[in-house]
Amino acid sequence: MSTDQKTGTTPVPPQVRMPLLDYVTVHSLDEDYADVAKRTGKKGEPSLIRPGLAALLVMALFGALVTTAAVQTARNAGQASEGHNSLVTQIKARTAQVDAQRARIVSLRNEIDSLQNVYLDTTSQGRALTARLDRLKLLTGAVPVTGPGVKVVVDDARGAVDDKQRVLDQDLQKLVNALWASGAEAISINGQRLSNLSAIRFAGSAITVNFVSLSRPYTVLAVGNRDTMPARFVETEHGRDWLDLHAVEGLEFAMTSEDSLTLPAAPARRLNLRHATQGENP
Amino acid sequence: MIAGLGLLVGVVLGLMLQPEVPLWLEPYLPIAVVAALDAVFGALRAFLDGIFDDKVFVISFISNVLIAALIVYLGDKLGVGGQLSTGVIVVLGIRIFSNVAAIRRHIFHA
Repeated sequence: MSTDQKTGTTPVPPQVRMPLLDYVTVHSLDEDYADVAKRTGKKGEPSLIRPGLAALLVMALFGALVTTAAVQTARNAGQASEGHNSLVTQIKARTAQVDAQRARIVSLRNEIDSLQNVYLDTTSQGRALTARLDRLKLLTGAVPVTGPGVKVVVDDARGAVDDKQRVLDQDLQKLVNALWASGAEAISINGQRLSNLSAIRFAGSAITVNFVSLSRPYTVLAVGNRDTMPARFVETEHGRDWLDLHAVEGLEFAMTSEDSLTLPAAPARRLNLRHATQGENP
Repeated sequence: MIAGLGLLVGVVLGLMLQPEVPLWLEPYLPIAVVAALDAVFGALRAFLDGIFDDKVFVISFISNVLIAALIVYLGDKLGVGGQLSTGVIVVLGIRIFSNVAAIRRHIFHA
């Protein structure tokens, strides 16, 4: 500043040169106080200064402002938590309602089944129909099935480099065909029960059954005569293909007889018929 | 003394009346409080420095509150209300801290 005065130019105000934060810190007290004190020549001890009515009013205003802000904030917080609580209560109530209705659906379904059974049981024709229905359900995969059978685990060859050494959809198709041919009565692949509408095919890089992607290794469960099925399997053309794949390409193949297998039902959407209706014998 | 009395009167009034703040004014209330706090601490420091003046206090208090609210209002209109509020709070906070430090030096001579 002094150099400016020497050269005679207008002094540069300090805020031009000072970093902003330094300026704010240095001028934290309003300069007006100093200016007014300089002008009136008043520079004394604090005890000599008596704040007047105006200061009292402003302090009262300040107190009211702070109190109002505090009261308002507390009130808003109360409202917010109230709203939150009421939402939580609503959610809980609605969830309970949904649960209750779900339980009702289940109980109504059971009621329908039992009423159907009661109705069918009352007539001999009905009993025959029930028996036929049960058998058809087993056949089509609508209900889980249990019984003895064989378990076949297949997988890609170890260190497979080309598709010949991997299990492809057609390999699984051959395997399933061979199992049907050797007397299987129900088959599932990795827990996907085959219904008469199930397809085994490639989608992307994975084999899908019932539109569900499977990952290797593939475990094929087949319910049937566990003593004769392995032998009959080897006699089928596709069975022999699989033994070749095992011997030549190194695909993993293991067949074991099981005393008791349990296969799940096929997904309900695989049992829907939209176009087919019953026809007369030609 | 008289200032403490004023503060007491204001707090009691605020607690008794509990005025309903209009919704449009609500965002400016906290910033106005911080600006007022700055003016009050500045006044206390000026008092201890022996250069307190009623008129300057009144003007600095009112202008502080109004300008702080105005800046936030402007920020709201420009879509940077939150950032501008932060800026105002930072500057006023720095001022409050350095004023309080000066007050502390006066009271404890340290």
